[in-house]
Amino acid sequence: MPPGKDALPPGGRWARISRPVRSKAKKFLAWLFSGKSEKASHLLILPASFWLSFFLVIPIVLLLVLSLAQRGPYGTVIWHPTLDNFRRAFTPLYIPIVARTLLYCGAAAVICLLLGYPTAYFLSFYAGEWRDTFLILLMIPFWTSALVSIYSWIIILGRDGLMNSVLTGIGLLHTPLDVLNTPFSVILGLVYFYLPFMILPLYSSLEKIPKQYMEASYDLGAGAFQTFLKVTLPLSLPGVFAGFILTFVPCLGDFLTAEFLGGPRTYLIGNLIENQFLMAQDWPFGAALTAVLLGAMLVGLYYYQKLEAAEIA
Amino acid sequence: MKNKWLSFYAAAFYAFLYMPLSVMFFFSFNNARRNVLWRGFTFKWYGVLLHDAGLLGALLTSLKIAILSSLLASALGLLASYALVCRPPRFGRAFYSSWLNAPLLVPEIVMGVGLLSFFVRIGVPLNFWTLACAHAMIALPYTIGSIRARLLSLKSSQLEEAAMDLGADQWEAFIRVTLPLAKPAIVSGALLAFTISFEDFVTSFFIAGIGVVTMPIKVYSMMKFGVTPEINALSCCLLLTTLVFLLSARMLRRTPNS
Repeated sequence: MPPGKDALPPGGRWARISRPVRSKAKKFLAWLFSGKSEKASHLLILPASFWLSFFLVIPIVLLLVLSLAQRGPYGTVIWHPTLDNFRRAFTPLYIPIVARTLLYCGAAAVICLLLGYPTAYFLSFYAGEWRDTFLILLMIPFWTSALVSIYSWIIILGRDGLMNSVLTGIGLLHTPLDVLNTPFSVILGLVYFYLPFMILPLYSSLEKIPKQYMEASYDLGAGAFQTFLKVTLPLSLPGVFAGFILTFVPCLGDFLTAEFLGGPRTYLIGNLIENQFLMAQDWPFGAALTAVLLGAMLVGLYYYQKLEAAEIA
Repeated sequence: MKNKWLSFYAAAFYAFLYMPLSVMFFFSFNNARRNVLWRGFTFKWYGVLLHDAGLLGALLTSLKIAILSSLLASALGLLASYALVCRPPRFGRAFYSSWLNAPLLVPEIVMGVGLLSFFVRIGVPLNFWTLACAHAMIALPYTIGSIRARLLSLKSSQLEEAAMDLGADQWEAFIRVTLPLAKPAIVSGALLAFTISFEDFVTSFFIAGIGVVTMPIKVYSMMKFGVTPEINALSCCLLLTTLVFLLSARMLRRTPNS
């Protein structure tokens, strides 16, 4: 035991601080946690609020301001307000990239919906006691680094990857297929990564449907298919829309999938933004592209909130 | 209720979900450099990782950043969720709950380029600390979610009131009753925050600066040079870390009373 440790009065380390300071600090803490004052509650949330303002809101506001600036020589920024960056984003040079992003993300979201709906349906009505396990299994690929799942697709789809060696091995193919660097591989990567974003909202809206509704439908003579079409599917539509927004919107900002599973001909807005900030050093243009992305996100969010409000009402 | 076709579909779906990861896992033990043909079992690639000084440095950096940011996120999250659940302010409660979840809604690329221009603009050099602060911001909704759920269930048991009836003041009730009971949820939230920081690539990629190399950034630069069995092994290590942390976070939340 270090010398002097047992000499500490009850109250331990607190006692080392001089008495007036200690009592003041104690009073302050008691006030802070008392809940008697409205100010104290706000003060407890203040550090978190400060953190979010400093590291999330201010950077985004700065980006919006930056998107109105101009690029100077050697990647410097000239603070002269202009809308040129936004105009440039919709010139023939960049429209294909914007259109491609919308197309790939839309396709990915639709495929996620088609693949995910039956799984969500299974989880809600047939998984029984295994439901929690299945839900965790769904979350694990979602929590692993995007890099890891992309890398594992490279192993499978690559020119001398698993798929080609199996297909040539069993004699189905004579020359290996070039699957990587095609729209197919990019959309596949997007679908794989964003599937959980689709299934979870679908699951939560399917799960809420009272079983009696389906039973009632059966009692009234409808078959399984008719019940699904006329009862289950319409009631799960909020989940369908929510899932679509939650897959489509984050998909718009993806750049890793196209970087590794695609090539320059499949680049998306995310790649363009990355390029403006890290290679081309045209930050104002990159900021304008990001602002477009944020705009799309806000529209999505608006509809998502509306859906939630409608569901509560 | 049973539905043969649907169960069959679900099995196929989960096989699809786990196929890439299991292929990667399987071939990380393959004793061959480039070919995907099976050439025998080996731990060789994991051994190579252990002797890669750059990689061990990246691991250390990642660990430090993950620990620091999870501590930060837990502390901020604890204060905020305590205030929201146990001392709810009369004004702005609805605002706070959506405001504190804001990082979940912003795409990571936006955070990355935003923080990059922000730090450069205010003249803060990009380093270890800026990255840890950014990770704490990203992880904040997760720690708040975890702690808040636990505090809500504690609130219904009114233990704090009981402590105060027995003579404790609010601060003592918080330190001696609420905090120890909320500990599993705090640790669980911290584990989630750790995982988020440890796995984060996109934000880190933009704001890591030159000197700071985290594990995902290292994996990225290795991937740029093509497919190698070392990356297989490394990815498996990352996967395993996530798995362990995620499952322990979940178990802690399941048995809150032990």
